[in-house]
Amino acid sequence: MLPKGAQRERILPVLEDVTHHGRITPAALDEVRRATGVPAADVHGVASFYTLLGGEPRTRVCQGLTCKLAGSDALLASFEARGEPVQAVSCLGQCDRAPAALDPELEVVAERPRGAVTPDDPELAMNLAGAETTDYLALKRSRDLGAEDVLDALDASGLQGRGGAGFPAGRKWRAVREQAVTERYVVCNADEAEPGTFKDREVMLRRPHLLLEGIAIAAEVAGAADAYIYIRGEFTAERRSVEAALAAAGDVFGDLRIHFVSGHGAYICGEETALLESMEGKRGMPRLKPPYPTEQGFRGKPTLMNNVETLACVPGIVLRGGAWFKALGTTDAGTKLYCLSGHVVNPGVYELPLGVTLEALVAAAGGYVGTPIAFSPGGASAGYLPISKRDVPLDFKHLAEAGSMLGSAGVVVLNDTVDMAEAVQHQAVFFEDESCGQCAPCRIGTRVLRRALATYLTSGDPSALDPVRDVAWEMEEGSICGLGIAAPLPLTTALTHFPSAFAARPGRDA
Amino acid sequence: MSAPVGNPFTITVNGAEVEAKPGETVLEAAGRAGVEIPTLCHDDRLDPMGSCRMCLVEVTGQRRMQPACAWKATPGQTVVTESERIERHRKLLLELYLADHAPPGPDAIGPRNQVLELAQACGAERRLPSVAAPREMRVDANPYIEFDADQCILCARCVRYCDEVEAVSAITLGGRGSHTTIATAGQVGLLDTTCELCGGCIDTCPTGAMREKKPGLLQEAQVTKTRSTCNFCGVGCQLDLNVVDDKVVRVTSPPPGETLNDGNLCIKGRFAYDFIHHPERLTTPLVRGSDGNLREASWEEALQAAAKGLLGVKERHGADALGFISSSRCTGEENYLVQKLARAAFGTNNCHQCAAT
Repeated sequence: MLPKGAQRERILPVLEDVTHHGRITPAALDEVRRATGVPAADVHGVASFYTLLGGEPRTRVCQGLTCKLAGSDALLASFEARGEPVQAVSCLGQCDRAPAALDPELEVVAERPRGAVTPDDPELAMNLAGAETTDYLALKRSRDLGAEDVLDALDASGLQGRGGAGFPAGRKWRAVREQAVTERYVVCNADEAEPGTFKDREVMLRRPHLLLEGIAIAAEVAGAADAYIYIRGEFTAERRSVEAALAAAGDVFGDLRIHFVSGHGAYICGEETALLESMEGKRGMPRLKPPYPTEQGFRGKPTLMNNVETLACVPGIVLRGGAWFKALGTTDAGTKLYCLSGHVVNPGVYELPLGVTLEALVAAAGGYVGTPIAFSPGGASAGYLPISKRDVPLDFKHLAEAGSMLGSAGVVVLNDTVDMAEAVQHQAVFFEDESCGQCAPCRIGTRVLRRALATYLTSGDPSALDPVRDVAWEMEEGSICGLGIAAPLPLTTALTHFPSAFAARPGRDA
Repeated sequence: MSAPVGNPFTITVNGAEVEAKPGETVLEAAGRAGVEIPTLCHDDRLDPMGSCRMCLVEVTGQRRMQPACAWKATPGQTVVTESERIERHRKLLLELYLADHAPPGPDAIGPRNQVLELAQACGAERRLPSVAAPREMRVDANPYIEFDADQCILCARCVRYCDEVEAVSAITLGGRGSHTTIATAGQVGLLDTTCELCGGCIDTCPTGAMREKKPGLLQEAQVTKTRSTCNFCGVGCQLDLNVVDDKVVRVTSPPPGETLNDGNLCIKGRFAYDFIHHPERLTTPLVRGSDGNLREASWEEALQAAAKGLLGVKERHGADALGFISSSRCTGEENYLVQKLARAAFGTNNCHQCAAT
């Protein structure tokens, strides 16, 4: 008999087997209970948390900012007009081919192929356009070097976590390696769901071996026998790509077991502790920190969790040295995958020196479309900056100083055809929909902000926005995790930089 | 969980030195020193969740405020529980709760609502428009427990109590974000779940969202409480009879930590009190006369009649023609007395207790 925790980890896969992605009935919940020993109420609680579970087969139309700008409302309406079951969902990570949707089998339906990537250049750390190599030289070299030398190289590289927080990767790896507990895990966070972000998608589709190699090196350094790749459930093609690469890689990983866990539709599970809860078969509600995952992560054991892009940087660092990687950047170390979408000529993923300006990034993408007024440098969580900040280096430090953040580097450019209040409304809807609901500042605060904006847009009366500053303050101070802290930023930054967009105006009804 | 070992140490709370023990939280250490930190989602019987955010305090070295209920005290730590920042946080947090909370009607009387009490104490007002959260409501035909989602703050004390204390797990947090509510599997009524109707969810609820169906909406101020011992079994749970106008209108448990039942009761102890004022309840002994009818009698008379009848059987048929069966509602002491009566007074070993099979 497996321990209770291990049984709980099975409930969502078992539920999917029982329901075949259809409706979740009390009988289905009971079947999962009998198969796993987990109380039926708990199964219900977990299943009802995730948007990919339950309900009838349906098309899911993206409501991300870029898709909204590109006409996702019309797409949604066209499905409704044909009487086809359809649902508006949070950003699908297809901003370069907006407007996008997922068919009932969770395959992407988009008007265009995936966007551009930086041209093939072997000097880039990841070089998405380059030929995929399967020789696993970096893994072999890391074994020759030994863990301490790999850690030294990582420290020297200055690599900062690419998931958004920018934590030094070397310090995180060391923290896990130094734990007394020997049962340790490596988790690759491939739950890419920050609106405007689609870089990990491209890594998994174009360079899955590079990712697997980074994971294997991490596992060897951390002393982990098992590594998990948690891929957002909407990324079916990406999972297939990495699975195929794993099968093709043969026995290069030695004793390391690499597992796949699919997300089930929850942005919050990109937050590391929510991701761990989700892996353990629970509602994706972030844990209190400390303890940090490096001390008590998956199954309460030391866990090294890195973003896809972070891990994909590792093989290059091992092969070519930390100094080489560091020199690739300008203001911060290394190259960075910038996801560019919105009002630019060639949306796509551009690997550029960390610290590039918006101006240089957009130049690489063929220029602006129309007259730009604003941009969001790091996904919805980064808020908006005025286009006058186009020369600020897009890095961790300078964007923080500008009151924003690099985050996941999902850069969305808005031109003067955009009503900033409308643009903020899309993000407000996103954050309310994706709040886990655990803590009051975020659960209630996101709803207050969304409704305040809706009231303003309907009435044209700016007094509807009076509570915003106080509520935003409380969300930042009181929320458990980063979602609640970031959720007010689109609105507060827009109020700061675009006050005229929130002046008295004719109401929608007028 | 074994208690961490080690020597007590001091932390500083609001400038005063406070003794803390290894493994203790800031809330525990501060509480022992008489520093009150408001909480909503905390219950001593449950693992800290830190989700209500009411108990956030400032801890030196931490940029963000931290939940006192979960934050471990460490030697030399400095904690501030009253400051402008904390005051502002509490007020704004409570205003968010109020925006998510159905306002009481003009004549409303209800169970204790700690959100409203704290709001008053912290000067929080209904400044924000109601957010009208889109919660799924659940119809529930069980006779005892009702749930008002619009009074619920989702602290999950009921859910955690049901899991961690009762190990029943009949309820769960269901849905996500503003849709979150307290749910059952498939949103069926509690009678169709593993629920044992112990009512512990009512007891731990800080707002009265989980409440008793029977007494309607009672106001605490009307109630006088009389401590008693539950007589449904021999465990000896202490309970408080809640009395209004000389009538028991509700039974509650003494607070956790005070009595052996530690704040817990079962369905019988909490809800089965109708018999107290039932018109058919026997309130004096009855003795059957020679005419075959029962009539009221004194205890002396009734005991004499019983003794006479039993001794008569012994005389006619011998002591082993008698058998004594006591009830599982008796205490250990009462069961002892029954076997003593059987053996010493009547001379038979034929004694049994109905729960002893």
